[in-house]
Amino acid sequence: MSLLELKGVTKRFGGLVAVDHVDLVINEGERLGIVGTNGSGKTTLYNLISGVYTCDEGSILLEGLDITNMPAYKRAHLGLARSFQIPRPFGQITVRENVAIGALFGTLIGEIGEDEALEIGEYYLEKVGLYPKRNEIANALTPIEKKLMEVARALSMKPRLVLLDEAMAGMNPKDIDRIVEIINKIHEEEKISIVSMVEHIMRAVVNFAERVVVMNQGKKIADAPTQEALNDQKVIDVYLGRFALEEQNA
Amino acid sequence: MNKGKYYPLFVAIGIFLVLFIFGKFAQGMWEPVALIMFYVAVGEAFNVFLGFTGYVNFGYVVFMGLGSYGMALVVSSSSMAGLGPWILIPGFLFAAIMAGILAAGVGAIALRLRGAYFAIATIGVNQGVKFFIEGAKIWGGSEGIIISKPLKVALGPHLANAVTTFWADFLVFMIAILAAVITIVFLHTRLGYGLIALREDEDAARVMGVNTTKYKNIAFLVSSILAALVGATAWCLKTTYVFPDDVFALSYTVDAIVIVMMGGTGTLLGPVVGGLIYGILKYWLGILLPGFQLLILAPFIIIIIILFPEGIVGVLKKRVRGKKLEKFIA
Ligand SMILES: Nc1ncnc2c1ncn2[C@@H]1O[C@H](COP(=O)(O)OP(=O)(O)OP(=O)(O)O)[C@@H](O)[C@H]1O
Ligand SMILES: [Mg+2]
Repeated sequence: MSLLELKGVTKRFGGLVAVDHVDLVINEGERLGIVGTNGSGKTTLYNLISGVYTCDEGSILLEGLDITNMPAYKRAHLGLARSFQIPRPFGQITVRENVAIGALFGTLIGEIGEDEALEIGEYYLEKVGLYPKRNEIANALTPIEKKLMEVARALSMKPRLVLLDEAMAGMNPKDIDRIVEIINKIHEEEKISIVSMVEHIMRAVVNFAERVVVMNQGKKIADAPTQEALNDQKVIDVYLGRFALEEQNA
Repeated sequence: MNKGKYYPLFVAIGIFLVLFIFGKFAQGMWEPVALIMFYVAVGEAFNVFLGFTGYVNFGYVVFMGLGSYGMALVVSSSSMAGLGPWILIPGFLFAAIMAGILAAGVGAIALRLRGAYFAIATIGVNQGVKFFIEGAKIWGGSEGIIISKPLKVALGPHLANAVTTFWADFLVFMIAILAAVITIVFLHTRLGYGLIALREDEDAARVMGVNTTKYKNIAFLVSSILAALVGATAWCLKTTYVFPDDVFALSYTVDAIVIVMMGGTGTLLGPVVGGLIYGILKYWLGILLPGFQLLILAPFIIIIIILFPEGIVGVLKKRVRGKKLEKFIA
């Protein structure tokens, strides 16, 4: 059974159609990559799925339940978690507390106590390699550490589906390999679906995704197993031309 | 369960105890101590909302005002005179209910607004309530309510006098303790974590499962009711009158903001330290340099806020991070 299903999902900003009649199925336990040029509507798609925005058209089903108009916090309780492209830490509190808040609120009231949440926080910080920084104020982290903290925060919510928004952008190849390894390991251990946007980072796409969705100007132009999608002529035309250039320049 | 979490509460109560003893036994010190405690309690009540949500309730004084009206209406209603001293219980209840109803209504509407719009909306509520009371001539209109007589009838002259000179202030101490307990509970429970998350980033908090609307409303309600209790005792019972010009004066909101910012927003001890300093300065500058207080007070506050941008306790908390003192400061 599909975990998440988008049917004709559309979002407009004034005259701009940021997400244009997108149909998408995400399966239980899947590792899906989303790629697309800047402004192709990837982040907007995440905002629609997580409930930051509501759809102008179309519907979103989570395990068959219509969540199209459900408030964001309720979606989180049902198992949707995400990171932000530009990290949004709770800046004035500690890294451990940041992740504990994920554990406390990803579940319903009473499921997890405050002390237990702090322990869960430490567990996931250990996993992403931030345990030594657990008592620092979140604002004091480097940008990459903030991204890692967001990954830990999302995972601590006991999600069914994690949406990562360019968690690897701006990292060097060594860090990217490390994060992909962490994510793949967590995927294996926790049996959750992970959708990751990986933008230009080919090595992450290939190492992480089983299936790739390609967005262009708000539309989904390809949706296929990774190798197949990357060899699709339409995709090569609008997107991979840039990959090749960047790989050369790098 | 880690008991150390509650140490800062004992520090706060310790400070109150010292103040109480000093006020009670040092000659002529009760009035200044009562004034200081008034500012501490006002700051604590205000901090429950500002400190935990980051929203500034400029109309905060309206809840203190309504609280003092609530108490005045109960004390002056002849049907309750037979209760004797117990009359204070329905008095406080009515104060809390009146403020609670207004807070629930204002919260449901104004808390949909963010930041500055919310602040402006709350000023409007304060002015609106004041003009309504005066214009519609309810509750004595602009004349207000004087309760000195009914208070004497209900309590007898001796006890009525003791209420205005001692018990009204004593109750402010009790409210300050109540507010401190609420603050420490907030700091360590799911509710408080949710509030802090929304204070730091409301959108991120929502996608992480925090029902931000509900949490903001709870904090607003609790803060408003605490304000009403302070108003009911520190204004109504202590002065035995309630005038709309006095109890809806926006300058009290400004006092509260200064106290909380100076002490440290979102901390337990911040409003205590802030209220202490503010109360002391206001009282003695009023005696030493009557009329010129503001000339000294304003630059002093500016200097403190520049030196301690996160408030005195906020900065202190950072300093003691990882040290033995850490568990006493929150
Ligand atoms: N809140 C908004 N208001 C107006 N326009 C918006 C808003 N959010 C996104 N857009 C526009 O919608 C389009 C899609 O943006 P989106 O952020 O979803 O793209 P993206 O694929 O995530 O791009 P990037 O790779 O740069 O992150 C862009 O043209 C963007 O300018
Ligand atoms: Mg984006």
